[in-house]
Amino acid sequence: MAEDLINTLADLKEKEAVKIVEERLSAGEEPLKILDDARGAMEIVGKRFAAGEYFIPELVYSGELLKRINDMVKPKLAKATNVKPQGKVVLGTVAGDIHDIGKDIVAFMLDVNGFEVYDLGVDVPAQKFVEKTKESGAPIVGLSGFLTLAYDSMKQTVQVINDAGLRNKVKIMIGGGQINEEIRKYTGADAYGRDAMAAVNLAKKFTGKE
Amino acid sequence: MSAREGTKPIGTPSTYEAREKRFYDAVSLTKPDRVPIASFAVFFLTKYSGLSNAKAMYDYDKMAKAWKQSMQRLNWDMAPLHQSVFAGPVMEITGLKAFKWPGYNLADDALYQYVENEYMMADEYDEFLADPGSFTIRKGLPRMASVFEPLAILPPLPSFAFGYSIFTVVSTFVGIPGFPQMMETLIKTGREMNRYNATQARLVKDLASMGFPCITAGFTFTAFDWLCVLLRGLKGTMLDMFQQPDKVKAVVERLIPYTIGQAVAVTQMTGNRRVMIPLWRGAAGFMSDKHFAEFYWPSLKQLLLALIEQGITPMPWFEGDYTPRLKYLAELPRGKVAGHFDRVDKKKFKEILGNVMCFWGDVPPQLLVTGTPEKVRDYVKGLIAFFSDRGGLIVDGAVEGIPAEAKPENVEAMTEAVFEYGVYQGISEGQVQHEIRRGDN
Repeated sequence: MAEDLINTLADLKEKEAVKIVEERLSAGEEPLKILDDARGAMEIVGKRFAAGEYFIPELVYSGELLKRINDMVKPKLAKATNVKPQGKVVLGTVAGDIHDIGKDIVAFMLDVNGFEVYDLGVDVPAQKFVEKTKESGAPIVGLSGFLTLAYDSMKQTVQVINDAGLRNKVKIMIGGGQINEEIRKYTGADAYGRDAMAAVNLAKKFTGKE
Repeated sequence: MSAREGTKPIGTPSTYEAREKRFYDAVSLTKPDRVPIASFAVFFLTKYSGLSNAKAMYDYDKMAKAWKQSMQRLNWDMAPLHQSVFAGPVMEITGLKAFKWPGYNLADDALYQYVENEYMMADEYDEFLADPGSFTIRKGLPRMASVFEPLAILPPLPSFAFGYSIFTVVSTFVGIPGFPQMMETLIKTGREMNRYNATQARLVKDLASMGFPCITAGFTFTAFDWLCVLLRGLKGTMLDMFQQPDKVKAVVERLIPYTIGQAVAVTQMTGNRRVMIPLWRGAAGFMSDKHFAEFYWPSLKQLLLALIEQGITPMPWFEGDYTPRLKYLAELPRGKVAGHFDRVDKKKFKEILGNVMCFWGDVPPQLLVTGTPEKVRDYVKGLIAFFSDRGGLIVDGAVEGIPAEAKPENVEAMTEAVFEYGVYQGISEGQVQHEIRRGDN
């Protein structure tokens, strides 16, 4: 039955997946196990995305399905359970840029892969990244940007993190439509990722989980 | 270096007619006398002349002066679309919520940016389909700009039944709270817009007398992007593709005549027969090939074919990676579409589209912003060499044309390289292979 849910969810079959969850809940099954399966399905979704079988529509839809199942299961949980996160990531679109699509997908993929994400939103001043990094103790900062003006904003954000004395405490990854290795060098970031799964893999690498 | 009055132009002079011919020679896949260079630079020209983006949007005269000064110096074959520097005061007076811009709610040197929201909700497809005009006026406009908020209270527009209810209509308008103020604001907006338009019209005339045609009459959108970006937003649309796909297709279908009409309208207003079509959500990273074939391509193809039939040159702006989509573009007629490319495998492009479409692009923004003049020159040389066997090349930057952040010396080097290497002489095949490998990044 676990495999049924994992597969139907990974195949994005909404009605079937919801039905299985209903059945399993009414059979009195441990809600946490259902959430585990849902997470397992999201891992498959992530793999299919990385393999070029799934694209943004599938990711967005899988996120919606996960949310729906969470909403069904959460009331049955005895108490909020704290799964120990894989690691913490401070994430945001850099100053001057208000594009959130890429950043939101990265946040979602990090989240379903067990990372705790502090999403600062868009047009985020450099100082805010510093404040949140200090406050959360996150070892990873993710900078997103779609426009070419983000090159300088990223560079400046890395500089401000450096000036705050945090540079050797955090790994900085960048990403966005116009980001490549040249821009990574230009900004002084540690790594850049082509897509959301690349961000997950980088985060795992940084936290020694892979 | 920046554009200053009296600075010597790069390259050699051309007439207006020679530039038009050069451009269309490239589009129709014949070899022009020289490779044309034409860009959609939004804020580069103004920045190059020392204006901040905010100043460019708020001081129409300074913007126009900067445009001319920079064009004089750069000597490109077509002037970028002047109207892409929007009128900041107009946006401000209307309380536009669908954009953020420099000089208002973004930093002075930021690019203006569209705010992608749900301007149409998931349960409003039927209402839109029943009457797109009524929906736009009563729902769309009030959500996009605060000046239009009073419109939300209007009854469905067809209920104003011509002669029978014309008096009711008038009293309704005046009686609606906020309506008189809205009218006053709109009059103010109109006056400001007239001031902007007058400056822009003078600019077009001045550019023409300097020998520079304007690159495009304006723009239209393809139906899927109209829905996905302008109405429902990415997240909403992509959920709808799974949860109510038939409605998505119905709205896309319904929008096609508007996408064509918008293009025809701008060509009629300006007399310019070229229309830019920014393309956003059909690129390789955004959706699968299957979804592209199902949701995106049919309406785009209809738009392109309809414009070609009316003698308009569509300028689709293929943002992102279009390599997997080249096979669809091969269905288009030869030499009629000015395709602008961002990231595409040029070898595959040549194989699949070599006899169909010109290649317009693609000096990467990373190179223009962070590279050196030597590297830019090499890239352009390689690009020209690669297409030297067939012509059909127009040089520009990639995704947004020339980014405002590009180093002036890099843009000058790019321009110089076009004049230096663009005459299709003395480039051997061996060199072609070598250059393209370097240029391919």
